Amino acid sequence: MEAGIRLVARTVLKQRFWVLALLVAITGFFALGLRHVELKTVFSDLLPSDHPYVQVYKDHPNFGNPLTVALLVKRKDGDIYNAETLQLIWDLTRDIDLSPGVDHDQVLSVATEKARYAEATPYGIDSRPLMGDAPPRTAEEIETFKRAVLKSPYAQQFLISEDESGALITATFIERLLDYGETHTYLQQLVEDARDENHEIHIAGQPMLTGWVYFYEVQMLFIFSITGLALLLALILYMRNFVGVVAPLLSSLIAAVWGFGFVGWLGVPIEPLIMVVPLLLVARSFSHCVQFIERYFEILTHVKDRRRAAEIALTVMTAPSVLGIVTDATGLFLIGIAPIPAMERFALFCGFWAMMLVPTNVLLTPLLLSLLPTPRNAAQLMGAGETGFYAALRRGLARLATLTFGKAGRWTAISLAIATVYAAWNVTQIQVGNPVEGSSLLKERSEFNRAVAQINQDFPGVNTLEVVFEAKSLEGESRVAREAETAFVQSRLQALVEKMPDPPEASLSFADYLPEANRLFAGGNPKWAPLDYDDRAVAAAASALLVGTSPKAFSHVADFELRHSTVSFWYKDNKQDTVDRAIEQVRSAIAQLGSEYPNFSVRLGTGTIALQQSLNDTVDTYQWYILAALNLVILVACSFAYRSIMAGLILLVPVNLSNLYLGVAMTQLGIGLDVNTLPIAAIGIGVGIDYGIYLLSRICEEYDPSTGVEQAIVRSVSTTGKAIFFTASIVLIGILPWYFLSELKFLADMGLLLVMVMLINMLVALIALPLLMWMLKPAFMSAGNHAMSESFNADDHRQPDTENSPIHRCEALGST
Amino acid sequence: MHIKRYTTDWTRRAFLQKTAVGVAGAGLLKPLWSSMAHADDMTKAYPEELLSIEAYTKGAFSAGDMITADNVDQVAELLDPLTVMQIRDMGRKIELVDSTRDITRLFPHEYLEATLRNKGKAGLDANGNVIVAETGQPWIGGNPFPEPTSPEQTFANLVMSWGRHDDSVYAIRDWDIAPNGKLSYQYDFIWAEQNTVGRVASDAPYIQGEEDKLRYQAVWFTSPADAKGTAFLNTWKYDQREFPDLVGYLPAFKRVRRFPTNQRFEPLVPGITIFLSDAWAAGDPMLTWGNYKIVETKPMLGAVSGNWTGDVDKNWERGVHGGPDGQTFFDTKMELCPEVIVVEAEPVGYPRAPVSKKRVYIDARNMMFIGYVTFDRRGEMWKTFEPSFSQYATNDAQLLDGDHPAWSWTHVHSHDVQSNRMSRFLQAKQMSGGHKSVYNMGSDIYSRYLTPQAIRRFGT
Repeated sequence: MEAGIRLVARTVLKQRFWVLALLVAITGFFALGLRHVELKTVFSDLLPSDHPYVQVYKDHPNFGNPLTVALLVKRKDGDIYNAETLQLIWDLTRDIDLSPGVDHDQVLSVATEKARYAEATPYGIDSRPLMGDAPPRTAEEIETFKRAVLKSPYAQQFLISEDESGALITATFIERLLDYGETHTYLQQLVEDARDENHEIHIAGQPMLTGWVYFYEVQMLFIFSITGLALLLALILYMRNFVGVVAPLLSSLIAAVWGFGFVGWLGVPIEPLIMVVPLLLVARSFSHCVQFIERYFEILTHVKDRRRAAEIALTVMTAPSVLGIVTDATGLFLIGIAPIPAMERFALFCGFWAMMLVPTNVLLTPLLLSLLPTPRNAAQLMGAGETGFYAALRRGLARLATLTFGKAGRWTAISLAIATVYAAWNVTQIQVGNPVEGSSLLKERSEFNRAVAQINQDFPGVNTLEVVFEAKSLEGESRVAREAETAFVQSRLQALVEKMPDPPEASLSFADYLPEANRLFAGGNPKWAPLDYDDRAVAAAASALLVGTSPKAFSHVADFELRHSTVSFWYKDNKQDTVDRAIEQVRSAIAQLGSEYPNFSVRLGTGTIALQQSLNDTVDTYQWYILAALNLVILVACSFAYRSIMAGLILLVPVNLSNLYLGVAMTQLGIGLDVNTLPIAAIGIGVGIDYGIYLLSRICEEYDPSTGVEQAIVRSVSTTGKAIFFTASIVLIGILPWYFLSELKFLADMGLLLVMVMLINMLVALIALPLLMWMLKPAFMSAGNHAMSESFNADDHRQPDTENSPIHRCEALGST
Repeated sequence: MHIKRYTTDWTRRAFLQKTAVGVAGAGLLKPLWSSMAHADDMTKAYPEELLSIEAYTKGAFSAGDMITADNVDQVAELLDPLTVMQIRDMGRKIELVDSTRDITRLFPHEYLEATLRNKGKAGLDANGNVIVAETGQPWIGGNPFPEPTSPEQTFANLVMSWGRHDDSVYAIRDWDIAPNGKLSYQYDFIWAEQNTVGRVASDAPYIQGEEDKLRYQAVWFTSPADAKGTAFLNTWKYDQREFPDLVGYLPAFKRVRRFPTNQRFEPLVPGITIFLSDAWAAGDPMLTWGNYKIVETKPMLGAVSGNWTGDVDKNWERGVHGGPDGQTFFDTKMELCPEVIVVEAEPVGYPRAPVSKKRVYIDARNMMFIGYVTFDRRGEMWKTFEPSFSQYATNDAQLLDGDHPAWSWTHVHSHDVQSNRMSRFLQAKQMSGGHKSVYNMGSDIYSRYLTPQAIRRFGT
């Protein structure tokens, strides 16, 4: 293999202009794809497609439709029954109907025609909107309106708060027409314009949440630019030469063009929230380049010829670089195992980008190095002269290395074992799912989360669990929602769940509307309210309910064809405890009633509660699948590369330890494992294995049986360890501003999490791996036949002044 | 060699000039109705380019050709944008037929005679209602304003007589198609209407004692089983500022009930996309809408002839095509209508209306609408309501409405493009329950269909 690599390296450098031309052409191709790049959230793509709850949601998207916003008008100094507040409710209702993407048939408030009261009069059914053709203005009109509300039990429960200080306006959006950014801008402006000294206005719902993420995109891009600058600055400060800055910068930029261009050509949208990962990929690209350049400088100092040094660097670095990149990319590709379309797209996008670091870093960097001017400070960078920051860093790392062998090594091993036991216990406490009320994407005191809390306080809330009554036949005149057995089982289900301890805040079904319709059409006497549970009576009540109205007015409880219907249960919040309880309650009630009937099946479920649980179930399950698959890939790839299963196993230890410690960090920081944080864990493993491969290769290279593994460890940690330290540090410096600057809690959390990823992986790589090598002293360490050796024969390339080279170590590296 | 006397540019300029000066009367070369008085055909009123699709499209299309997704762009300017979308994106096809040059084929005979007889007699009173200008009496029949000079006069032609027969019973079969192309609902119903004024085939223009009303109109559902017996009765006031009275009967409750009548943007029964407001593009009293204006005059394609299927289907039903399941659209024939007046109006009398305006395309020759589009409050197109008309006569069959071939509507597409639900319905010869389509049946229509007792009787 090594001969092959050497041949490739020689050819690439010999034909460097052709290779460069090819890379430029490919870059041009992908650059054209940039026009089609789209940052966009597709809500249904954020859900795990194979989960039974998601299948229920996709079969019945109208039930518990998450694309609904709830706007609360709250009077600060009294109730809503005054001309000013009622006018405000009227205006906001009319204005919300102008929102981009709104479904005009699904706007509901006390000011819409759908909120009606009905009474039987000698002349017939008088079914009128609660408000007339204008909001009530005089005291008499307001009193009449108030009486009308009292005759409309569902308006009282769902549209006006119990203390009468708040009114709710809900609007559902059509997904194919919904542009979250545009809708959010419109609604937020509406809310801000409506706020005054007498009214609080709150607005919540999934479209607003995603809209907030879009809103913070500008801030996110600003923070990312700070990160980019910080990375660049760190690079400049570290390298302090032209080539050391330009080569990583160009390589990373080209990789980015390839990555974005690829998804542009595929025409798949990128979820804005995962844009943190591409930034990390830039950092990873820097990291690989720096590793490469450091090695190049070492060799250059030795051979004094740019092209030759680049060729040698390419020869010796190809295997570890490619292995590191491939394992990185594999980690990202494996995220696609989770059957969540947005994750699948993410895996494809980021995995491809990461994989393209092979041509853009491994191939392009040596080409650039061979063409760009020779740096003057290469020797200094290599820590020559035992002075300055680099030398101090080297000494510090060397001292750190001494903790991994001998007597200190034993203590380190014991400490590590204790820490691991603690971590293993602690990590069982990690919360899968949402640890807060509202959304963990935004800060607890964010406008959105305050809105959620206020609406949950004043109304049944925004979190529902839907139990769908699904018709078995969709043909013919059978309309199961208006059959007696459906109505009966729905009412029984509601009664059972509402009698349980900690019952839901409210429940609603199509069956709930029928008795009132029956009463009114039968003449108005309350004695006509109870329904006979036969098909004729229930169908008659349903007909009465739907006369002169579109079935869309009831689309929250029955589908347009009146075949499928739902029972909605409202819960106070969407914290994981509440979600668990809700599902348990409803599941046990369904178990009592049975789920299969001649004309329908009872399916659990959809709504925000069920959909959140579907994500949690998926994340909980697939995190192990991804971890196991990643371990397997790493084991196979590394064992093959080092021609030793022991090498594969040794590399897996720090990687998994880091993952374990990351879990502890998340627990301590109160960050839950969810669909957004799952990729970070996989990336963490990619980072860890990268460090491990570079360090292990260097230890193998440095190992000389005559001086022992200890010397090899010291040399490796103080050289390759320095590059690891640098790459971890610059990412850390670049990402830390996220925590302090971002209004988006998700980004702040990600910042903190990524800092943890880099720190933990760095420390574990620098300590655990050398420790293992010292303890196990594996045979492959001294075997020269694996593909990962970075060594080269200095004698082959010695120049006249080589004796003065500070890289004395190179002379000893004659193993190949 | 065919020498063009008038190019399309000339036509366009002529229409622009007409619209600019607010002249809505038919005829470009000379007024259509003065040509009619001299027993001329339409060639005196319009250049050849507006009476032949072949001439208009410079040979690209001719009668018998089909408009499809492949060629719709060439005639897009002759269709409303939603019809273009249906053809381009949903697989709809439209067959072209020759333009009608004989105006008698665009009216019921008596209605055309009344239009000619009463030409120039109509006016609008101070409230905006149509009256006989000299006497101030209610209208006496035919189009009140065949040569309108304002958008209100143009629109009034649609209002005074919906079906253009004194009495009409339509046996209607309706299919409501879901966005996935599957059948969502299907109804059979009877639509009965009787004009109480403006009668053209009767001895007197008014039903005695009913001059304060415009019409009675009822809908009776005969199928499916769960809707059978459900019926509604509208009583329209002559004063177009007032809402009609609406009562309904649900057989399960055995009671006639009054329903609110000012909520006109909801369907009567589940599944249909048609609102009360949509009937005949003039389903609301005319003066509850306002800000009428003529926005354009231009040639368009309209389904105004060749659409009766009495010679090929004994029940006058027709083929379907297009949409995801091949059943979203009826087969339809359209001709080039030389002059179509585009009128817009706003629902000023409905503070809570979900629509911001309606745009009605009116064929200037017979002042009947050939298309109707509503816009939501954001100004985006919401629904299109496209009727098809025909004289009920072919080479092999004909139906008389007395002594003359009948003229009526044949089928309608009502498409809610935002939710992508299509209601399409046709006038059948006969339908479940044995009810038949019939015109000018006389005073029996009232007792059989148009009283509270009748709708109660029907449901029991």
